[in-house]
Amino acid sequence: MTPKGVTLNTNSHKIKFARRFIRTLLRMRKNAPSSSSIEEIRKRSQRIKIAAYSSMAHAVGSRRAWSRAILFKLRNRARHHGMMRRRSMKKRVIKNDPPGDQSQTNKLRQLVPGGKAMDMCSLLEETAHYMRCLSTQVKVMQTIADHFSK
Amino acid sequence: MDGHENEDVGFQHGSEGILNCPSSRMSTNPLPEKVSGMTMSSVSMYKPSNGADPFFGSGWDPLVSLSQSENFGGSSMVSHGEYPPYPVVMENQGISTTSHLVQYPSSSSFVELVPKLPCFGSGSFSEMVNSFGLPECSQIANSGCPQNYASNKEVATGRTSTNGAQSKDDHQVSGEGAIGSSPNAKRRKRVPDSNNSAFSPNQNGEGDVQKDLSGESSDGQKEPDEKKPKIEQNTGSNLRGKQTSKQAKDTSSGDAPKDNYIHVRARRGQATNSHSLAERVRREKISERMRLLQELVPGCNKITGKAVMLDEIINYVQSLQQQVEFLSMKLATVNPELNIDIEQILSKDIIHSRGGTGAILGFGPGMSSSHPYPHGIYQGTLPSIPSTTPKYPSLSQNVLDNDFQSLFQMGFDSSSAIDNLGPNGHLKPEN
Repeated sequence: MTPKGVTLNTNSHKIKFARRFIRTLLRMRKNAPSSSSIEEIRKRSQRIKIAAYSSMAHAVGSRRAWSRAILFKLRNRARHHGMMRRRSMKKRVIKNDPPGDQSQTNKLRQLVPGGKAMDMCSLLEETAHYMRCLSTQVKVMQTIADHFSK
Repeated sequence: MDGHENEDVGFQHGSEGILNCPSSRMSTNPLPEKVSGMTMSSVSMYKPSNGADPFFGSGWDPLVSLSQSENFGGSSMVSHGEYPPYPVVMENQGISTTSHLVQYPSSSSFVELVPKLPCFGSGSFSEMVNSFGLPECSQIANSGCPQNYASNKEVATGRTSTNGAQSKDDHQVSGEGAIGSSPNAKRRKRVPDSNNSAFSPNQNGEGDVQKDLSGESSDGQKEPDEKKPKIEQNTGSNLRGKQTSKQAKDTSSGDAPKDNYIHVRARRGQATNSHSLAERVRREKISERMRLLQELVPGCNKITGKAVMLDEIINYVQSLQQQVEFLSMKLATVNPELNIDIEQILSKDIIHSRGGTGAILGFGPGMSSSHPYPHGIYQGTLPSIPSTTPKYPSLSQNVLDNDFQSLFQMGFDSSSAIDNLGPNGHLKPEN
């Protein structure tokens, strides 16, 4: 099961991701023409980053826990945009682990979406799949960036 | 299930006190591990998500609310992890009862459950333990009532003699096979030998141990029915033979498919404590996953050691996320071009990393619902995408082979994208 889960990240994922990502990019470009101020660029890059992750999550679908975590977060974010932030920020501060507790596992949990709620075994499995998808994502983004800059 | 009821009845024979435990356990642990994994992930979705200010602050910004679910997930995992109704077979050397459940127990879960089980008197205790089959029970048994060990041992050693006696004897007999060959300390998960065949199926069921390792075969309450058919020759020599033959494989190589549950045998000379078995299984799983990861991370072929490997993994994931950030920054600054040749981009990309097309077929039921085309279509026939079929010939120029085309079709998650393809294959923005 595990190898299958990992090796399933094939071109299909790539294509889905590329398609969605490019569509989002174009939409963004259309809505906000390129501006050269640093702030704008930073915001835009943040949005692009989110778009990249969300495109990847959508491409993978609900199959993996990490993609589900991303999608869930996206939906909630859209729903409670701005409203819950203040309330949840307090909670967030309280619940953070003291930095001294950082172990490798914890670091990995923080890196992988949805990792905090997984046991070690599934965490590793999700990490493997997530790594593959991430590298796919990077490759596609690299190709797009190259294409744009030509 | 009948078996289930038998077990419950068996419980009642012993002592009523135990009844609470199994029922509670069962209620908490209905699902095999796998399902529990899924439940957990779904659990993780339940948490309310805070606004997640820096959405993906540095790479992945974990949902804070995840921490809440962590407890929930953790506890549910724990409860899932432990599979309650295991019959306990007394096999351990000197340890009166061992549930061979090697599930995915976490010690904390045991701790929680411990208080539930009262420590019973010697006579009833072994019975209870036998029928209980819970790891916690065994733990409690081990810790709580040492005097039982001796009695159990004695009973166990006299295995054939005690055959007719009672359920506990049966278990002990089965267990005792191991006890008898204590140096081997094999845990037998099968029903005891033919001698015990006379016993009510209840006991057989109890004698069997199921390991809910990956939860694959054993769902929750399985054991009762499955155990019945499993009566093994329990002679010591046979056992030993079997055990030695399986010594090499420590863990649940017995994804005993035919029997629908997993056998785990302890290695020669290793502790057969339920905990240690469970731990070992867990460790094996983890090391297997680590090996997979090792293949994924470039340049980690020679690394041996979990800690170093984990470090490498973390570094790699962090570097990937940083790359995403960097590339998104780059894309933000690049001047937009409204005409994007998707096929060009994808073809370049895919040409470089071709292959794996066959793997798509493996998606099977797991495919996301957004995927419009059935796998069968992939084989090379162009699916009739209504409005875009005429455009395919133009696509074919950019495409290396049919595989790619099929891939393309397979990869379409919304036909609207295809609609936007102009005659030259340029993507027209939709909005």
